[in-house]
Amino acid sequence: MAIIERPSAPATVPAIPSASLGALKRPVTTQHGWRSWLFTVDHKKLGIMYGATALFFFVVGGLEAVLIRLQLALPDGRVLNADLYNQMFTMHATTMVFLFVMPMVSAFANYFIPLQVGARDVAFPRINAFGFWAFLFGGIFLNLAWFLGGAADGGWFMYAPNSGPVFSPSHGVDFWALGLQITGIASLTGAVNLIVTVLNMRAPGMSLMKMPVFTWMATVVQFLLLFAMPVITVALFLLMFQRNFGATFFDVAAGADPLLWQHLFWIFGHPEVYILILPSFGIISEVLPVFSRKPLFGYPFVVFSGAAIGFVGWGVWAHHMFASGLGPVSVAVFSVATMAIAVPTGVKVVNWTMTLWGGKLQFTVAMKFAIALIVLFTVGGLSGVTHAVAPSDTQQTDTYYIVAHFHYVLFGGAIFGIFSGMYYWWPKMFGKLLSERIGNWNFWLMAIGMNLTFGPMHILGLQGQPRRMYIWTEARAGEGFFNLAFWNLVASIGSIILAVGVLFFFINVLVTARRGAQAPLDPWDARSLEWMTSNPPKEHNFDSIPTVGHLDEFFHRKYAEDHQSGEIRKVQGAEEILAEMERNKDAHIHMPSPSYWPIVLALGLPVIAFGLIYSIPVAIVGGLIVVLGCFGWAIEPSTARDEDVDPPAAPSTEVVRHG
Amino acid sequence: MTSARPRPTAVNRLGSMRRRVLPALALVALAGCASNAPQDTWDPAGPNAQMIDDLQRPVFAVAGIVGLIVAAAVGWAIFRFRDRGQAIPKQTHGKPVLEITLTIIPALILAVIGVFTVRTVFDLSKTDDTEMVINVTGQQWWWEYDYPVQEEFGITQPIITSGQLVIPVGTKVMLRQTSRDVIHSYWIPRLNGKRDAVPGRVHLNRIEADEPGIYAGQCTEFCGLSHANMRMEAVALSKEDFAAWVAQQLAPYESPADGLAKEGEAVFLNQCVRCHQVNGLERADGSPAIAAPDENVVSGAAPNLSKLMSRNTFAGAMFDLLTPACRRDVWEASPADFGSKYLAGVSEDCLNQTDLRGWLRNAPEMKPMYANPALLAGTGGKYRGMPYLALTESDIEKLVAYLVTLK
Amino acid sequence: MFTTGSKFFIGLSALGAVSFAVFMVLVNPSSIGATALFGFVPAVALAAWLALWSRDGEPDESSPAASAVPSPGMWPFMAAAGVALVLVGTITRPAVLILGVVVVVAAFVEWTVQSWSDRASADPAHNADLRGRIMQPLEFPVLATIGSAVVILSFSRIMLAVSKSAGAVLFIVFASLVLVGGVLFAVRPGLKRSLVAGVCAVGAVGLVAGGVGGASSGIRAELVEAKSEGHYTHRTCGPEKDKYGDKHALLGVSSRSAVIATVEFVEGTLVARVQGNPAETDRITIPRSNPSSIIFRNKTEGDFRLVARLGTAPVAEGVVEEVEQCTQLIPSGAEQLLTLTIPKPSLEPGAYVLEVAGIEGQSIEVIVP
Repeated sequence: MAIIERPSAPATVPAIPSASLGALKRPVTTQHGWRSWLFTVDHKKLGIMYGATALFFFVVGGLEAVLIRLQLALPDGRVLNADLYNQMFTMHATTMVFLFVMPMVSAFANYFIPLQVGARDVAFPRINAFGFWAFLFGGIFLNLAWFLGGAADGGWFMYAPNSGPVFSPSHGVDFWALGLQITGIASLTGAVNLIVTVLNMRAPGMSLMKMPVFTWMATVVQFLLLFAMPVITVALFLLMFQRNFGATFFDVAAGADPLLWQHLFWIFGHPEVYILILPSFGIISEVLPVFSRKPLFGYPFVVFSGAAIGFVGWGVWAHHMFASGLGPVSVAVFSVATMAIAVPTGVKVVNWTMTLWGGKLQFTVAMKFAIALIVLFTVGGLSGVTHAVAPSDTQQTDTYYIVAHFHYVLFGGAIFGIFSGMYYWWPKMFGKLLSERIGNWNFWLMAIGMNLTFGPMHILGLQGQPRRMYIWTEARAGEGFFNLAFWNLVASIGSIILAVGVLFFFINVLVTARRGAQAPLDPWDARSLEWMTSNPPKEHNFDSIPTVGHLDEFFHRKYAEDHQSGEIRKVQGAEEILAEMERNKDAHIHMPSPSYWPIVLALGLPVIAFGLIYSIPVAIVGGLIVVLGCFGWAIEPSTARDEDVDPPAAPSTEVVRHG
Repeated sequence: MTSARPRPTAVNRLGSMRRRVLPALALVALAGCASNAPQDTWDPAGPNAQMIDDLQRPVFAVAGIVGLIVAAAVGWAIFRFRDRGQAIPKQTHGKPVLEITLTIIPALILAVIGVFTVRTVFDLSKTDDTEMVINVTGQQWWWEYDYPVQEEFGITQPIITSGQLVIPVGTKVMLRQTSRDVIHSYWIPRLNGKRDAVPGRVHLNRIEADEPGIYAGQCTEFCGLSHANMRMEAVALSKEDFAAWVAQQLAPYESPADGLAKEGEAVFLNQCVRCHQVNGLERADGSPAIAAPDENVVSGAAPNLSKLMSRNTFAGAMFDLLTPACRRDVWEASPADFGSKYLAGVSEDCLNQTDLRGWLRNAPEMKPMYANPALLAGTGGKYRGMPYLALTESDIEKLVAYLVTLK
Repeated sequence: MFTTGSKFFIGLSALGAVSFAVFMVLVNPSSIGATALFGFVPAVALAAWLALWSRDGEPDESSPAASAVPSPGMWPFMAAAGVALVLVGTITRPAVLILGVVVVVAAFVEWTVQSWSDRASADPAHNADLRGRIMQPLEFPVLATIGSAVVILSFSRIMLAVSKSAGAVLFIVFASLVLVGGVLFAVRPGLKRSLVAGVCAVGAVGLVAGGVGGASSGIRAELVEAKSEGHYTHRTCGPEKDKYGDKHALLGVSSRSAVIATVEFVEGTLVARVQGNPAETDRITIPRSNPSSIIFRNKTEGDFRLVARLGTAPVAEGVVEEVEQCTQLIPSGAEQLLTLTIPKPSLEPGAYVLEVAGIEGQSIEVIVP
């Protein structure tokens, strides 16, 4: 189907030959090939690119993790030296948090929020594209440090003054601070964009309380990002000035207090934890009802507990600092606040369990990941309660017990949710079902590997093995069942199993891409709006924007409930619904035009960052690229013009592109 | 190679096992014939750690029970409600009464835990009945302990030592912790929870040991390259033994009479004294030899080596001064004769010659310490940790002979 | 679609990028060579972009004839004015010369693009649009920067010249005017363009005139004096008042959550308390080479400062100087922090002491083991 409609040219304007624009026409005509990806503003293409990039960084971060575990498998490990080990665990955490889970969430949010709220794209498509490119360039920039004298070596928390120029003389921390600054810009723009989309572009009839849970949780996350990113931005600027321009924000001799960094970092860092986990809560709140064949139990409770976590999450940051000498009053207050946040989290676990209760459960791979999340996250949540108890935390913090805790929360929680989402939404995104057979290998190896890796870390931590040690010594390992030697080895073996499990996912993707059959229109008998379109969706998402009357709109169009018997029967299938939508299709669909400027603007950012590290003139060049990008973007006409279109299209098709 | 300390009591072992419910049964036999790691957090040996332990055991129990309930509920749902061809269930949207009940119950449990937590937090922060004060200063990658003058303990002159903290048993000791460079964290798990040592701040940390013995610890705030090697021990001595230890530390310096040790003193004056102080050491011209670590290392301090051989470890407690056999003898001593064995110090026969010589030969090779001279530009040429000194083998021979006299 | 010229520049830019990468990894990332190559790549890329955009400056064969009438332009005039500035600059000041060169370069760039776009097609509107798409991304930021610079420079000259209180008033008046003007323009979108432009022009002229006036009348005397006295740094630790140093005594950081000791001057007696030990003492222990904070509280009628006398240190060959550090003069009931870093141990008793300036016989000994 032709997509582009040219506005009919007024008679007074002579025809302009398109050739006069050379290669720099607006890239409106590129529907295929690399240019259609490079300059796209389509939320679905950007979502896929976010996902692909995030999975690449997942592999990078995963290899770093395997190296860490190999080093620690035996006492006095020799796989890595101390310096390399410190870089490895710093970059493992940084990569997994900022370059895998956060962009993976962006991938799902970008792809599915417009579909779930019945919109044709996000509110600011070009900003969306800019966000992706800024994230990609920031991620590459962060990792370039490996090749330019060593990566950051201060831990992802980068406590001052250990991150200062005296204690970390390589450029690693500079690359880290500036790289995160760039990805932070990406997160901020994405947050604004998605918030506006959700608040303003919902389909008619979709009140906030009829919005799918994933969209709800992702929106809470965008608000968290909106307020958390500025804090880390400030902290990173202080760090940059301290390292590169001789500032003394954390210099004790100049009267500063190094705890300033910790407060800034954790005021960002704790909401960040919820930024990582809430979207996965949203994903499984979509998956569980579909495969239980009944609605989410207590939808308003799930939504409000999510929002409550979003609020209370701001009042608990100092529980990362119970050992840093805050004084008993602060410790007591933050300890109690941390316990309070366990309540809304517990509400969610109850609701998921009750959703399963009385259902008709189908154990697809997506469902298995979702159920595993409930159990594994509960383990992580409960170990969380044990260190919400501040005195007990002073024994546990900075030991492997904490490593076990947050990997149960983030691997068992966030990442299992992400995998559940991938298996669930893969047919929607690519039109093919991932293989369930390989998927089962994927799930079981990951579940076993994850428990073998992180389960023993509870023991290691309670036996007093601190984190971030490049070696452990036999002299402090003990004997008997709880000896560190045995459980370190188990954890390392587990990490290999886990890696193999993840490998099966990529095998599954390859096999599906090669041999997978076309997926049916509604493979899971799903419930929400994103399934009310083709697989993969058309560029304009919906032929006609649906009017929403129920929470599970799609389900309610397919099924009717007999009021007397309470029996539920199917009245029509997805095909009929789609056919009807196509019959009533909207006459004029306005789609945004692709643009060069987002990628140009994003390219300027790493150039500035390079310049700040190596030479200021380079930073000025980067600044000029950014300024050029901003103005080119601002001046770019909102609608692609006649001369941008080549060849001129017949003025009979449906979709008009606007900037 | 193995740690040794009194076996855990049955209660402790049970506590540790609660974490791993299933394998627990299989281990009773195993755990019965072996000891846990020396930094076991479930094995308190003093009132502060005991307070924490009393609080955390019930919390772990409650958490374990809640976890089992959730797992059982999910497991039952998986088994009972799997798809066996039943009709599509009724599309219920939830039961608010159930929801609210299941919200209030955990809230109540947490409220109870919260009350006890707050009480323990304030109990642990009590300082007004302190009996003894020790200043603890962390730097990359070792701990310095200085004992301010406290006549009631016989400390008439400040004592400076490092690596091993020596305290009297049954005494409420206040550690006033700070740091000279980056943030470190002082943690002797069997005596109390950890507390960060932050430059520019003094953090108070109270410890008290019930029995004589040696208690292992480890720096737990990431502090750079050799974070993993920044260990420490707390040594508890009976009150009499502690008085003897103080007298030993305050004893005047005795220059070796002659021979290899005397030559070693000359090497020391020539090389080591740039950073390392030995109280009472005099130069050939009779002037006191004052170390100037502030001119040579970033942190501005290096371990004071007076009475080095009264300690069991060196290089930030990374290496033992004792041979493995002698070490085991001290670590595994019963509380009754621990004191006399510790106070005996390091004899020539027990000296761990391999590590000490290796250290003198090339310290940065034994412990990662940013020794690369190319990285010293940002520090104005100052070292972090001990540099490579290019000592000859005969110098090392003399130095070892001299060091072994420092007790 | 790629023209000959653009192919050349693209190739050059790719070559530059490769050599830059090689340089970064193999040679030295912070060398001048890397910087030069780094600047080279975007510069050539820009040239490639221009070549692509303008089709190497060739008019399109298939297009209708270029517009016969060139659009009116000010660039010949600007170029001439630039040349004049260059000439004046060569005999007066280098700054004028640089300004002239910039004007000439800008004029030639604008002129070139103008004449190229005039020949792009027969439609003047389309030609103007083409010019805009190339030049506006450059013009807007440059003009905005110049405009902001003028405003900031003028306003800062005014604020430095007037007295402190007049400055506050002026600031409020100026801000209100901007606010009122902005609101007026916003709620009355129908206002005549010429009126708006006129108001803005008057405001701009007034601001620049004020700036020139401020610059010529010089900085206010108070600031000149403060600068000559080294602003707010201490110069003496004696009991007398230091005009600028002690002015803001109570605005300093007064206390923090953790200090090594508290020193109080109570009714003429100096006492110390070590943190963590409530007993009064007349000596405190400070770890060597460690920044340590001491709180000084004045509980005696009158203004006093705490002075730390830290022995002597060599400042040059054979010259030693007393080392001392002090708080500001603080009134009764106030407190202030003093941070000391003492690198050398106290060898004999009384090597390091804390005293109150102007009070004899009261001191706290500082022991540095």
